[in-house]
Amino acid sequence: MTRRTPPSPAPIPDSEIQDFADMSAALTGFQSSVLKPALDPLNLAHEYYVFAVAQVGQAAMTTLLNAYRAIKTQPAQQIADTLLETSSSSPSTQAQLAQSIVAMWYLGSWYVPGVLGGGGFAPPSLQVISSVAYTNGLVWRVMQSHPMGYSAFTFGYWSQQPGSLSSFGVNTGNGGGQ
Amino acid sequence: MSPTTPQYDVVILGAGVSGNLIAKELGLAGKKVLILEAGLAVPDSREEYMENFYLALAKTPESPYPALAGRQGSKLNPVGELPDPATLPTPRATVLSIGKAPDVSYLVQQEPFNELHKNDPNPQNPPADPKTGDVRGLQFSSTFERNGGGTSWHWLGTSLRELENDIRLETKYGHGRDWPLDYSELQELWGLAEKEIGVAASVAQQEPLEVVGLKYPSGYQYPMQAIPMSLVDQAVSGAVAGLQVPGTLPNTPGGSDPTLYDVFVSPTPQGRNSEPYDDRRVCAGNTNCIPICPIQAKWDPTVTLGKALDTGKVTVSYQSVAYNVAVEGKNATRVDYYQWSRDDKGNLTKVSKSVTGKLYVLACHAIENAKLLLLSNNQKGVANSSDQVGRNLMDHPLYLTWALAPQPIFGYRGPLATSGIESLRDGEFRKYRASFRMEIGNEGWNFSKGDPYTTTMDFIQGTNNSNVNPPPGGSGQPVRLGGLKLVQQLNNIFTRQFRIACMFDQSPLADNRVTLDVDKATGKPNNVDGLGLPRPKVEYGLDPYTMEGFRMAAYVCSKVYERMGATEFTINGVGGAGDFTYQGVNYHYYGAGHVVGTHRMGVDPSSSVVDASQRSHDVPNMWIVGSGSFPTVCTANPTLTLMGLAFKSARSILAALNS
Repeated sequence: MTRRTPPSPAPIPDSEIQDFADMSAALTGFQSSVLKPALDPLNLAHEYYVFAVAQVGQAAMTTLLNAYRAIKTQPAQQIADTLLETSSSSPSTQAQLAQSIVAMWYLGSWYVPGVLGGGGFAPPSLQVISSVAYTNGLVWRVMQSHPMGYSAFTFGYWSQQPGSLSSFGVNTGNGGGQ
Repeated sequence: MSPTTPQYDVVILGAGVSGNLIAKELGLAGKKVLILEAGLAVPDSREEYMENFYLALAKTPESPYPALAGRQGSKLNPVGELPDPATLPTPRATVLSIGKAPDVSYLVQQEPFNELHKNDPNPQNPPADPKTGDVRGLQFSSTFERNGGGTSWHWLGTSLRELENDIRLETKYGHGRDWPLDYSELQELWGLAEKEIGVAASVAQQEPLEVVGLKYPSGYQYPMQAIPMSLVDQAVSGAVAGLQVPGTLPNTPGGSDPTLYDVFVSPTPQGRNSEPYDDRRVCAGNTNCIPICPIQAKWDPTVTLGKALDTGKVTVSYQSVAYNVAVEGKNATRVDYYQWSRDDKGNLTKVSKSVTGKLYVLACHAIENAKLLLLSNNQKGVANSSDQVGRNLMDHPLYLTWALAPQPIFGYRGPLATSGIESLRDGEFRKYRASFRMEIGNEGWNFSKGDPYTTTMDFIQGTNNSNVNPPPGGSGQPVRLGGLKLVQQLNNIFTRQFRIACMFDQSPLADNRVTLDVDKATGKPNNVDGLGLPRPKVEYGLDPYTMEGFRMAAYVCSKVYERMGATEFTINGVGGAGDFTYQGVNYHYYGAGHVVGTHRMGVDPSSSVVDASQRSHDVPNMWIVGSGSFPTVCTANPTLTLMGLAFKSARSILAALNS
């Protein structure tokens, strides 16, 4: 349905991408297997990792991932709250990077860390990362639907109740984020 | 070929709804037809347009279509630059350029307060004229496309018929202007258009609308079964059962109509497939009819263009912008146009050409038709002895309200709109205020607030641009969330979002008009397009009759939300494009894309431009077609009716060719 440009090959260890996906799962509330399936033709986790590093630099990403690795055995919600500093009134630069990573997975776009919206609307995003990023945004699953302009459902589904949140890949259990 | 032998039977300007339909009908009758289309060719596949849409930062109606600047921003310019219309061969009005200066906005218009006084902490809306009560200096907010297929690439698909009193407004209620057509003739034309489009609807489901005068010929059936109502529709429909509202509110100028009218929801006849039809697929509910249906389950004008080309008698010349219709004696004799192209470096070049036909059809769009007529004959104009060309510009000004339902109703699913409240479209109140229809949206707060982006970023960043953070009933500061808590909060909001759009039967006003943006004394253009042609200048305002409709619509929406137990979040700004004040209350309107009235039809050549066949009163071998011919904008979305009128025009063109 959609074309995509393959991400340029980069010598990134798979364990690094796996950690990025696992951290993203905790931050977003989804199953890691949804973000980075065993068979992964889209390779979004890799694409997002590369994109974020290009925006903020390797050091910032490594620091955030190391912070995740230090607490990765905790419950997913606790990991999210810690890395996003949800109880703080002024999130650190590192937490703002975590916010941009959540936004990237949810909306398929890159929001510059720390840039807020205003006047009743979201902040301008830097770019839609790719058409595959748009059509795989998690926010559409959160609303138990499909991306606008990319429906895998069939005629008349809109007159019926949707499936449960867990059927859309949300991690509704109490286990870890992996 | 002798110079006096026309090259074609008919030359049609514009490959949109009307132009393609007329071309097809003429081609089937064996006539030789040329379509001059100003913009780019219809692409072989809509994948290219889909990719534009997916990568667009703002998913506006224009976003899939060519000639917009960058799909993606840069680090320096995150929102992307809009192109200067002076550099484009076929610039057009776009949502992102509404209210902007002519270096961004193709239409040259009064800029709103917030553009003229940036960062002024005390924005104002334009004052009402103390004598008439009219508010002038507003922005015409509807947009259109200039490419093969035209604006109806992104029509919604709503295929309602007009009501009998819509076309008899002047006789029945002493307001507006009658149409020069019988309702029974329109019924026959709508039937033809419904077959061409493939409208999914059930006559039985529409029968309750007899209360507003909607009638079908005996035994009529739509081409295919109705589209199911969405869960959102079902929630609204159940809640409003038994609701009645008065015809007018207290302090309505001019009089009152205390009659109580029933409020009920009706499934909307829609130009999208409920079953395979015309070699096109069944609707999969992509929730993306505007800006683009990914699978062409919704009819669009390229479908009819394909059939026109299949006749073997129709040729299209793309990138061909007409700038003069030559008239000698009474008749049109030639069309002059620029064939434009871009070289490898993107430089625009143009070649001036001419073409001749026995008959001519202007099907460029209401604003472009008016521009071309005024531009012709060295800006002295043609077909305008009535002085009505460009006047009576109308839209369905659209009043948007939005709310959270008390329980999940699951928007963002299905076609963008599948039902509406049509039961308030007619009544004695039309003596005093504008009638309206109410469209129920299936896209949450996408239109209202730019969701899901706005609310999602609010809960990630701890802001409150959506007005739901803190959530309703919550207190204190906005929250920041992650993990399952973020999922649950967003699910709780998004599954309860919905909106209602009210569209008004706006009054035709002579001062709401399209003119050429030229220096009155010298005729020299002020602002030009990339071909050097003057741009359309638009003046626009609202009268109290129309604005009173807004007041009533706000009241009815509040009653509907009250019945549902829903919480309304509608906010109307001040000082922006589309903001106005009526009886001390601020309102905002959007454009509906229903551009109407610039070459209105009528019996009397001194007060109308075309006759009931859309044939020019002044130039008998020229037809000027499209929604520009509508004397009033009425209460139905215009595409079905303008296609019906195109069928009538095709008949009269054939009769003229064969006589």
